[in-house]
Amino acid sequence: MKEFNVLVVDDEEEFRDLTVKILAKRGVNAQGAENGREALEILEHSRTDVVLLDVKMPEMDGIETLRRIRNLKPLVEVVLLTGHASVESGIEGMKLGAFDYLMKPIEIETLLEKLGDAYEKKRLHQEKIEKALLKKHMSMPS
Amino acid sequence: MERKKQYYTAITTRLLLAFFCLSVLPIVCFAWIMKDSVEETNIIKLKELATSTTEHRAEVISLFLQDKINLLVTLVSLYPQDFFFDPHNVERLFLSINHQGDFVDLQVIDVSGKQHAYVGPYRSKIAGKMYQDVPWFTETLISGVHVSDLFTGYRDTPHFVVAVTDPLKSYVLRATINSSMFNALLHSAQLGPQGDAFIVNRHGALQTPSLQGKTELSETERRLISSDSPSTSLITSTDIYTARWIAKGQWLLCLRANILDSLGYYLRLRDRILLTVIVISLLSMAAATMISLALSRTIERADKEYAALSLQFVQVEKMATIGRLAAGIAHEINNPLQMIGSQAEWIGEILPDEDANLVKNMGEYTKAVEQIKHHVKRAGAITHRLLGFSRKLASQKEKVNVNDLITETVSFVEHEAGHCGITIAETLAANLPLIMTDGPQLQQVFLNLLNNAMDAAGHGGRVEICTRFRGNSELVVEFADNGPGVKPEYIKQIFDPFFTTKDPGKGTGLGLYISYDIIRKLGGAITVENKKSGGALFTVSLPVSSYGEQG
Repeated sequence: MKEFNVLVVDDEEEFRDLTVKILAKRGVNAQGAENGREALEILEHSRTDVVLLDVKMPEMDGIETLRRIRNLKPLVEVVLLTGHASVESGIEGMKLGAFDYLMKPIEIETLLEKLGDAYEKKRLHQEKIEKALLKKHMSMPS
Repeated sequence: MERKKQYYTAITTRLLLAFFCLSVLPIVCFAWIMKDSVEETNIIKLKELATSTTEHRAEVISLFLQDKINLLVTLVSLYPQDFFFDPHNVERLFLSINHQGDFVDLQVIDVSGKQHAYVGPYRSKIAGKMYQDVPWFTETLISGVHVSDLFTGYRDTPHFVVAVTDPLKSYVLRATINSSMFNALLHSAQLGPQGDAFIVNRHGALQTPSLQGKTELSETERRLISSDSPSTSLITSTDIYTARWIAKGQWLLCLRANILDSLGYYLRLRDRILLTVIVISLLSMAAATMISLALSRTIERADKEYAALSLQFVQVEKMATIGRLAAGIAHEINNPLQMIGSQAEWIGEILPDEDANLVKNMGEYTKAVEQIKHHVKRAGAITHRLLGFSRKLASQKEKVNVNDLITETVSFVEHEAGHCGITIAETLAANLPLIMTDGPQLQQVFLNLLNNAMDAAGHGGRVEICTRFRGNSELVVEFADNGPGVKPEYIKQIFDPFFTTKDPGKGTGLGLYISYDIIRKLGGAITVENKKSGGALFTVSLPVSSYGEQG
C-alpha cells in the first residue's frame, strides 16, 4: 500500500488515538485532531490526503467541518464516520463532496480499504490537474 | 359491552320519546280538542233548534185550539138557544164548519146533562147518555170554555173535546177534535229519526201518541213536568229535551232530540279524523322507530370505528416509540462496540510482534481476538438493522411483479429447503397487476416470512405461498406452514420488536417487526392467524395503485 497521510477527527480521545496507532502500524501516516478547528489548523500547515471525520462532535459538527475543508483544501478527500444512522446527514455529506459515509462499528480492514480508495481518487485527481498544468506550461512556455 | 348496549338502547328510547312528543302528541291533542269542541257546538246548535221548534209548535197548537174555541164561541153568540136544540140545524152547522175535517163530531147538551143534538160517527154509542157528572161537562159549566184532557168517554175511543157554554150557561156546545189532524201538528216537530214530540198533561198522561210509540214517560220527562217555568230544557248524555207549557198550562209540549241523530255527520267526520290520526300516528311512530334505530346504529358503528381507529393509532404510536427507542439504543451501543472492536484490532495488530516462544497461548489469543471481532460484527449488524429500520427515508418505488419477486426469493432458500426436506409450494395467480412499491424492501419481508415459515415447518414440513388479487385494489400474498402455529397469547405481540420464540442466539426478534414496519410504510398490512388445519398463516396485503397495469 502506498504511503499516504490521514487525519482522524473525533472528539472521543480513545477512539482517535487507537485509530491513529492502528493506522500507523499499517503504514499509514496518521494524526489525530480533537475537533473541527484543530483539524483545519493541521490541514493548513501539513500535507494531508484523506480526512476521517466524525459527524457528531461538539462545537463544530462534522458537516460544518466538511464544508470548511472543501473550501480550504478542495482536493483533500473526506470519509464521514458516525454512530448514528441519520441518513439525512449522510446525504448532505455526500452532496458536499464527501467520499463516503461509514457507520460504526467499522472493522479496520474495511476502514483501510475505504481510506485507500479515497486516497487513490485524490491521487488520480491530483495527477490530472498536474498534467493539465504541465500542458498549459508547455503550450505557453514562459 | 352490556353498558354500551344499554347506552344505545337509551339513545333509541330518547329519540323515540322525542319523536313521539313532537309528532304524535300534538296530532292527538289537536284531534281531541277538535272532537270535543265540535261535539259541544253541535249540541248547542241542536238545543237551539229544539227550543225554537218547540216554541213554534207550541204557537201553532195554541193557535189551532184557540181557533176552534173561537169558532164555537162565535156560533154560540150567532144563534139562539133554540137553534142549537134542533138536530137539523146542528147538522147543517157541522157540515158548514167542518170542511177541513178538524172536528169529529158536534154535540149540544143542556145544563141538566141531557143531549139535544149530535152530529158524528158515534151517534149510537152515546144515544140517551146523560152528561151531568162527566168531568169536562161540569168544568165547562164552571169556566165557560174548556179544553179536555184525553179521555175515553162513552165511545170507548180516546179523544178530547173543546166545549163552550152560552153566556147564560143554559147549554153546552161541544166539539171533538180530530185527533189525527191534531197529532199531525206535532209531526213536523220531530228532529231526526230518533226524535220524539208529544203532549202530556200535568199528571203525566200522554195526550198525543209518542212518535216513537212510547206509552210510559221516562224519568227525565217526568222531571220536565215538575218544572214551573213556561219553557224548560234538559240535556242528558244521549238526548236533548225541551218543553213548553201550552193551553194555559194544561198541557206540556215535550220535544226530545237524539244527540246521536244530529251528530251523524259529525260522527262520521270524527271517525274519519280518528282513523287519520291513528294512521298518521302509527306511520310516524314506525318512521320514528326506524329513524331512531338507524341513528343509534350509525352512532354505534361510528363508535366502533373510532375505537378500532384509536386502537390502530395506539399500535402505530407504540411502534414509532419503539422505533425511536431502538434507534437511540443502537446509536449509544455503536460507539462502545466500535471501541471494543478497535481494541481487539489493536491487540490483533501488535500480537504478531510478540515472541511466540515467550507467549505460551499465542494461538488462543489470536483466536480470542478473532472471536471478539466476530461478535462485534454480529452486534453491529443488529444495531445497523435497527437503525436502518427506524430511518425515515422515503422508499424508492418502482413497478414490481410480485410473482417474480416471490419466485426469486424462493430461489434464495431452495438449497436450504432441499437440505431439510421442506416442500415449498407456490400458487401464484396469473395476470397479477404490477404494483408500485419498493422491491428490495418487499423482498426482505418475503424472505423473513419464508424463513419463519420454514423454521416453523421443520424437517419434512411444507410451506405454501399463494398470491391473489382481492377486491380490485388489493394484492394478497399468503405464507402458510404446517408447523405448530402461533400460540394465541403470542398473536398480539408477534410483531413487537425483540419478541422471539426461537432458541436464544437463533433469532433477533426483529424480523417480523421490520416486516411489519416495511409493509406499513408501503401502505399495506400484515396479519397473522392460525389455520384451522394447523399451522400459521401470514397474510400480506398490498395496495394496487390505479395506474397499475395488467402484467
